[in-house]
Amino acid sequence: MMDELLYSSPSLTNTLIFFGLGASLLMMVLGFVTYAILAERKVMGFMQLRIGPNRVGGPFGLLQTVADVLKLLLKEDTIPKAADRPLFMLAPVIAFAPAFMVLAVIPFSESLRFSDIGIGLLYYIAISGISTIGVLMGGWASNNKYALLGGMRSAAQMISYEVPLVMSVIGVILLTGSLNLIQIVEAQENIAFLFVQPLAFVIFMITSVAELNRTPFDLPEAESELVAGYHVEYSGFRWAFFMLSEYVYLFAMASITTIVFLGGWNPIPYLEFIPGVIWFALKFSLIVFFLIWLRATLPRLRADQLMSFGWKVLLPLALLNIFISAVIKEIWF
Amino acid sequence: MNGELILFFVLALVAIGSGILMLNLTKVVHMVIALVFTFLSIAGLYVMLSAEFVAFVQVLIYSGAITIIMLFGIMLTRHDDKTETKIGAPRMILVLTGIVAFFVVMFFQINDLSFGEQAADLHVDNTEKIGIALYSKYVIPFELTSVLLLVALVGAIILAKRDDKDKGAEDNE
Repeated sequence: MMDELLYSSPSLTNTLIFFGLGASLLMMVLGFVTYAILAERKVMGFMQLRIGPNRVGGPFGLLQTVADVLKLLLKEDTIPKAADRPLFMLAPVIAFAPAFMVLAVIPFSESLRFSDIGIGLLYYIAISGISTIGVLMGGWASNNKYALLGGMRSAAQMISYEVPLVMSVIGVILLTGSLNLIQIVEAQENIAFLFVQPLAFVIFMITSVAELNRTPFDLPEAESELVAGYHVEYSGFRWAFFMLSEYVYLFAMASITTIVFLGGWNPIPYLEFIPGVIWFALKFSLIVFFLIWLRATLPRLRADQLMSFGWKVLLPLALLNIFISAVIKEIWF
Repeated sequence: MNGELILFFVLALVAIGSGILMLNLTKVVHMVIALVFTFLSIAGLYVMLSAEFVAFVQVLIYSGAITIIMLFGIMLTRHDDKTETKIGAPRMILVLTGIVAFFVVMFFQINDLSFGEQAADLHVDNTEKIGIALYSKYVIPFELTSVLLLVALVGAIILAKRDDKDKGAEDNE
């Protein structure tokens, strides 16, 4: 049904249907963000021998995030007097809009997908780069030393780690012969790229954590050095938008990892009776859990270690991986 | 008036409007943000011409490049730095006649221009076709460009390194 819609000629009804579908995806993602934050706090609590949120909404704190968001919405929206008003107000929008835009190309299963374009992977990488501008803009417009330092760090980090991120997926693109995410999933029908391209997977996981600004790469918002980083002057709804974009990127990045390396909706052999969406959700949850696990386990890197690690370790490894993949493709495929 | 035309006008207006804003704004960072909107709407125009690959490579390259320009703008200028321009009346008139002449020439040339038969299947596998054309038909220009870029990269590294060494030598003295 989805495919028929995608290939039908554009009309007003179709526009409305796509608008409705987009809105429902947004609601789904907001639901995910609500419970991802709760899960993060619960899992970290479990790992640090604490309980985590347990008061609001039953014994598991199921409504904790909802209450937090309500509190954020009721908070006073402050704009510092010395801030650059127009940019200060535009920055959260520019940071969040690309985060939601990248979800357009992600295929969740063979029938549940919102687009079928030939450059899916390139679209994801290109659009997600725009968020950096929003972050840097917010840091500059706040007119605050800590915010500016956080924004600068974030720009440096995101640009340096984007290079190995792109390089690591080139091996997969070589083996598939396509940038289309749907064809990348279909190419993994027999074996997931995780086993064919283990080095690429490791590089991709490390750089994706850095792109998400999560521990051990959370230098742009290192609390002990920068108070809060680029969003130090933000409050209420605008601050919520920065946080939201971070968690929507978590969703997008976990989905992309699932699709490119874990085989998307392809089932494990002999378990084909379980529908594709459930397989996708299982693999996706595994990645999200892994990211939370990392956050609760590892300490933060130093700024100079971060840069030299990105340029001197990850980039040469990614180039080596491209070379090996090209040789493998010439010999076996 | 169909949707395509409306979309084209919106994108063109954003591209031209932010281009003008970029020239007229006074703060460096504001100018760079205007530049972002110009590049994004040009990418949108590429998508409308069914050249998605070019469009998203443009977004990929320029979003990184613009961030760097912005970093330089922040680091090399003061926070409230503003450019002040004073232009005399004769220069204004001269520029205006130049613009009008350019517009007239371009308008008549574009009106008379004919591309012949338009290709209808541009959107089919265009990324693959770009790759094939680049590596078979245009392989020598492509390699020359890559050598040029490599030379620029190595040159940048050497320049940065030498600076460091001189500083070290000065410190030793």
